Amino acid sequence: MIQFERFTLNNGLRVIFHKDETTPLVVVNTLYDVGARDESPEKTGFAHLFEHLMFGGSVNIPDFDAPLQRAGGESNAFTSNDITNYYDVLPAQNIETALWLESDRMLSLAFTPKSLETQRNVVIEEFKQRYLNQPYGNVWLELRPLAYKRHPYQWATIGKELAHIEQATMEDVRAFFAAHYCPNNAILCIAGNFELQEIKSLVEKWYGDIPAGPPNERALYMEPEQEEYRELTLENDVPSDAFYYAFKMPNRKSPFYHTCDIISDALGGDKSSRLFHALQKDKKIVTEIQAYIMGSLDEGLFLISGKIAPGHNFEEMDEALWETLNELLLSGIEAKELNRLKNKIRTAKEFQEQGLLNRAMNLSFHELLGDADGINKEAEQYAKITPEQFLQTARMLFQKTQCSLLKIKAKKS
Amino acid sequence: MINRTTAPGLEAITDIRYVQPQVTKINDFSSLFWMNRVPDDTVRIELHFDAGSIRGKKSVAALVNAMLFSGTESKSHKQINEELDQLGAYLDHEVSLEKAFVSAYCLRSNAQEVIDKLAHALLHATFPQREIDDMVREKKQNLRVSREKVSILARQEFQKQLFAGNASYARFTEETDFDEISREDLLAFHEKQYKQGLKNIVVVANVEQKIIDQLLQNFGACALQQQTAYELNLQNQKGIFRVEKKGAIQTAIRIGLPVFNKKDANYTDFLFMQTILGDYFGSRLMSNIREDKGYTYGIGSALVELKTTGYFVIATEVASEVADATLKEVQYEMERLKTELVPEEELELVKNYLLGQMLKSADGPNAMMDLYLGVRQHQLDFSFYGEFMKQLAAMNAEKVRHAAQKYLNWDNFTIILAG
Repeated sequence: MIQFERFTLNNGLRVIFHKDETTPLVVVNTLYDVGARDESPEKTGFAHLFEHLMFGGSVNIPDFDAPLQRAGGESNAFTSNDITNYYDVLPAQNIETALWLESDRMLSLAFTPKSLETQRNVVIEEFKQRYLNQPYGNVWLELRPLAYKRHPYQWATIGKELAHIEQATMEDVRAFFAAHYCPNNAILCIAGNFELQEIKSLVEKWYGDIPAGPPNERALYMEPEQEEYRELTLENDVPSDAFYYAFKMPNRKSPFYHTCDIISDALGGDKSSRLFHALQKDKKIVTEIQAYIMGSLDEGLFLISGKIAPGHNFEEMDEALWETLNELLLSGIEAKELNRLKNKIRTAKEFQEQGLLNRAMNLSFHELLGDADGINKEAEQYAKITPEQFLQTARMLFQKTQCSLLKIKAKKS
Repeated sequence: MINRTTAPGLEAITDIRYVQPQVTKINDFSSLFWMNRVPDDTVRIELHFDAGSIRGKKSVAALVNAMLFSGTESKSHKQINEELDQLGAYLDHEVSLEKAFVSAYCLRSNAQEVIDKLAHALLHATFPQREIDDMVREKKQNLRVSREKVSILARQEFQKQLFAGNASYARFTEETDFDEISREDLLAFHEKQYKQGLKNIVVVANVEQKIIDQLLQNFGACALQQQTAYELNLQNQKGIFRVEKKGAIQTAIRIGLPVFNKKDANYTDFLFMQTILGDYFGSRLMSNIREDKGYTYGIGSALVELKTTGYFVIATEVASEVADATLKEVQYEMERLKTELVPEEELELVKNYLLGQMLKSADGPNAMMDLYLGVRQHQLDFSFYGEFMKQLAAMNAEKVRHAAQKYLNWDNFTIILAG
């Protein structure tokens, strides 16, 4: 059990405190309820650009990194389609440095032209390095708009195109901050060797005077139900053909979520998985294959992806893939196989929870889902899955009309 | 009204409480290290072998390591994996230049069975031909993909030039290597470097002594029977080497030269100096090349340790049009460190940053074990870190400048540009 306490400030800031007496460090984790899905379609890539700008100086503090490093700490952040998460890890005795820094940048950023210019260039380099200059780097830029026609999930966090980032103005950036970076839109999680009373007074001291912002009235275009099979083939400069099957799946809060997760393990989670055996080991049609899910807050995707072995083609692979899926849909899964999958999940969870940062991030995320205590209920959610539920959920998932397939064909030289 | 313009006071990072693992000697050349203060049910078991890529015929080390669980006389690859997965165990196995390791992660309740299965698979591996064919196919495919990445091309060329004159260190895997390897090669390598090549067993788990005994019983006979030798005369090829990659919009850069490892008296001074130069987010290189010029998404430096020596390397990927400009900026930052004295504020910041990193490296039983292995591999112990922290506290601008002048001679560097 991960113990924690919870309180909320007058300005709406939700705070989670997790006590850990064994560590000399403290983690200060801030989760903002804003992600790429909150962007406007003509101005994409903002949440991610913003993540970078958050390190460019705040209203009272010209430089974020140096004071934290001076305190013996380090910091990082990540952006997804749903959230933006910032974390600081530093010696516990210097916790106030992190609270000072985080609360100030929640209060207001410095918004200097130099900061925007620099981070814009860094993000452009990131776009090139990770998405344009890598074989298969463009996959998510192409797969998302195929699977999502109306919902903002149709673009990736890096943005739809370089131009949106190139054209971002200071006004755009200020407006984005005002709308999303406020205490009532954030969850703060502090983990370390402290007492609740200490944490309460420190948080009140540093965050108490930050005014609440506008209420989060998210109104996104819902994705209409997919009713047809979709396919897109691209010819790129890549060493081998690759495939990406994206099936629509329920959102993170759905009672079916954990079953979808375990189905992805059963199909392509490790060397005992069904697709690995059928397509890679036995038929040798692929050189790699994996199945995994997006834990999106809105309707998500169940992915099966891999690379075709030389001398084989998409048609063979597609036939073998559906054969394996249909076998599952026909005969389901037995208790022994299900237990194997559950055992691996139990081991993974135990190791993950060793990490202080991991606990803090998970507590924050579960609080966003509705209740931080959800982290303690996860184990049970997996343990209680029956073979019948597994089969029912698989039947719901693997319908061709719910599938979008991206094929990347290697250009013949 | 709180004062937001002044930073809160800082408290010094003083002592670190080191937790020594229990050491059981297997023989004069091999030991078992056990950290049992683990507040949860996790079990980490690691086996270190003298089976690095410097050993044996080209690419045999990598192939053997990849195939350690591919089958025995009585069990197939599928069976082995399924049995371990059924126990909820995760395996990890990798090869570096000077060693190979196999790790198993599981829960306490399954430790005994996991060790049995692990030992059987590892010690009785037969490398069936069918499995070899599958693995070779997979490896060739992976190589084809990596050949497209400028970072891989840069790394390979850097390895070739840094270790010039040391064939076993300089070589890297190429597709054609696999056509020269026979099943007999694999069996012979496995016999020598695994079944007679065990260096250490590492355990991080709150288990009973009988689990330790079980490990010793199963793997003790694999212990090395003699001292391992690392023949490395590190003389790099100096100068600029360009690797062309058509159509690349980024260029991967590696700049490096031989230095030393922890055993050298100059280690701390050099480490500190290179941290200022490139080994933290606010470093000279990051501030200039990423934050100021926007040439890259990331640039960093590191001191990489080997058994008998070590090397220093700066790595980055930049927009191709600014590759040469980047070299100029790197050179410029090196010159600055050789001529100007680092300001007091920057010195204090880096000292505190490194102390914070030390704290992080000692946080929790797994980190503590890794910290211990980091010194033990050089026949040192935790007192090294006590001394290290003392030297950090005594660091000053003159020492930093002196280290820069002594080691950062541009003409001595191996410089790779791939893209």
